[in-house]
Amino acid sequence: MRGHVLFDGVWKRFRRGMTHDSLRDLVPALVRRLRPGTTQAERELQEGDFWSVRDVSFEVKPGQALGLIGGNGAGKSTTLKLLTKLLTPTRGTALITGRTGALIEVSAGFHPDLTGRENVFLQGAIMGMPQRLIRERFDDIVDFSGISAFIDTPVKRYSSGMNARLGFSIAAHLEPEVLIIDEVLSVGDAEFQARAFGRIRSIVKADIPVVIVSHQLDRIVELCTDCILLRQGQAVFQGDPQQAVNEYLHGKPTALVDATEATSTGAGFLEITRFVPESVNSGEQITCEVTGEVTAPAPPEHIELEFVLVEVSTNKRLYQNRLRALQAHPTRRGRFAIAMTFEANFPPGLYRLDTVVWHHERQVVIGQGPNKVFQVVPGRPFSGTHQVNMVAQLHQS
Amino acid sequence: MLRTILNDVWASRELLVQLIQRDLRLRYRQAVMGFAWALLLPILTIGAGLVIKMVLTQNVASDVHLSLGGIAVKSWAWAFFAGAMNFGTVSLLTNVQLVTKIYFPREVLPLSTIAVQAVDSAIGLGVILVAGPWLQFHWSVQLLWIPLLLAILVLFTTGLVFLFACANLFFRDVKYILSVLLTFGIFYTPVLFEPSMFKAPWSELLMFNPLSPVLEGLRIAMTNSGSLLTVVHGPKGGVVWSPWFLAYAASVGILLLGAGLVAFRRSAAYFAEFY
Repeated sequence: MRGHVLFDGVWKRFRRGMTHDSLRDLVPALVRRLRPGTTQAERELQEGDFWSVRDVSFEVKPGQALGLIGGNGAGKSTTLKLLTKLLTPTRGTALITGRTGALIEVSAGFHPDLTGRENVFLQGAIMGMPQRLIRERFDDIVDFSGISAFIDTPVKRYSSGMNARLGFSIAAHLEPEVLIIDEVLSVGDAEFQARAFGRIRSIVKADIPVVIVSHQLDRIVELCTDCILLRQGQAVFQGDPQQAVNEYLHGKPTALVDATEATSTGAGFLEITRFVPESVNSGEQITCEVTGEVTAPAPPEHIELEFVLVEVSTNKRLYQNRLRALQAHPTRRGRFAIAMTFEANFPPGLYRLDTVVWHHERQVVIGQGPNKVFQVVPGRPFSGTHQVNMVAQLHQS
Repeated sequence: MLRTILNDVWASRELLVQLIQRDLRLRYRQAVMGFAWALLLPILTIGAGLVIKMVLTQNVASDVHLSLGGIAVKSWAWAFFAGAMNFGTVSLLTNVQLVTKIYFPREVLPLSTIAVQAVDSAIGLGVILVAGPWLQFHWSVQLLWIPLLLAILVLFTTGLVFLFACANLFFRDVKYILSVLLTFGIFYTPVLFEPSMFKAPWSELLMFNPLSPVLEGLRIAMTNSGSLLTVVHGPKGGVVWSPWFLAYAASVGILLLGAGLVAFRRSAAYFAEFY
């Protein structure tokens, strides 16, 4: 059977909050619903629903590889979960024909007390692999993972990297007819990543439809024949991967902003007018220009503007600082421009510069300004979490 | 729908075997209790039966007939039921990371816990049979009823486990309700007593509990060698056994299994959302 993926006009609704998840909460909720006057609250709960995926359609045929890109919460993972039948669409059809291999949480089925060997058979069975095939492929799986010395050790003694390598190896030997991949290209060390990537590329070459989610945009461009850029659940761009990535990196994100309060309190508006380069070698410098206008007579004391650097894959804040601390806070009404430089001392990956309006007295974020996603590519070689541009000098006689 | 479910379960039989192996390995490899676990509940209930028998014979009437072998075999069956309910009900929650990440027919999760419980019970049965001479079992053709009785027990238990397992996912306090039901359910089930101790309407009323005919059937077949096809009247007048009781238990078991499978499959689409 030839694999085929069809995603036709799919909508998926989620509840923002759980209404009740125990009988103890259900009974009062039912009683409340019977009483008139409280139905408004019930209606508001319904209004708390939101669309995680809105009217997304695509088709992936043999020989095609589709990349899904977008920021956190754009609906990428939900789309994959709809494809793998973990979730059911609210409207539309999500249909995969053919045996599906999903490289999502590749070691989810591992039990810590079982050995690597036992877990290979267990995880394989969970992924729908016939035991006969696992027995045949067992040596290949272990060789590929590179942990053959520890295959009879309980996986609770494995490092997280070993865990992921073994999981990936099992999934990679599934012989799927359709392959779904979620962020597993960043498994293990650089050497294993290269091997994993090669494996996936050979699967794409073998005319197996692939759907892949990754924040490693260069990988997406290299692997995929098509790409969808998702923003707040909608496909805002669909087509050539390079164009999609460009659109993602350069396009103005839709307003996440509650700008009204920021404006009315005098912050005015803010715009990132220049940002070079968008793809930077790790350890090198980025120059950024932010322009804006203060519309109030003077910027109120309790409003602070902040720059925040976020690692996109983990959503971790790497750096944040206030304009006042940087001695760049606008002091007068009118237009202003801030020139800023910083060093991309991070490992390769995707990062985001956020601008945030902070209310000093209430200690809350009152507005999200514009942001900029940029990519760090390998510069001078290092491994670890910070590129400190170390200089070492050797003297020997 | 039932056909699809059964096809799916059959198609993932290898996964079922792997899950059973996993749980057995974990239970018997590291757990200190190991085999003792399989014996704990039946031993405790048989002990409780002994106490009750002593209380009855020493105080109320000396002519009370309560077969120790009957208590043993009924405790054993009850232990299977209670154990399967306990582990089966939480089976979806203990496998959270699987259910939210990977798609497979979810039916295998409760089924594997029931199978593991069955293995435990088989060990327990071995011990009971070794103690057979002391427990005064009768070896007769009536033992041929046992596979049918056990099949009804498994059908009934499996159906209930499916219902409770999906209910427990949506309402997390179902497992507490279950533990109360199991604690007191034994008083409404003839495990530590026999229907022949009751007067006319009560002995028959007791048989409305679908577990009663199964347990009583096991007792009669193993200790009494009476035929399960004849109607038996107790010393106090009430009907204590009728083949219709068994037919009733079998129908409840089949209906419950069907309802459990359908309800479980219908709600399975929402499992990943509800964690």
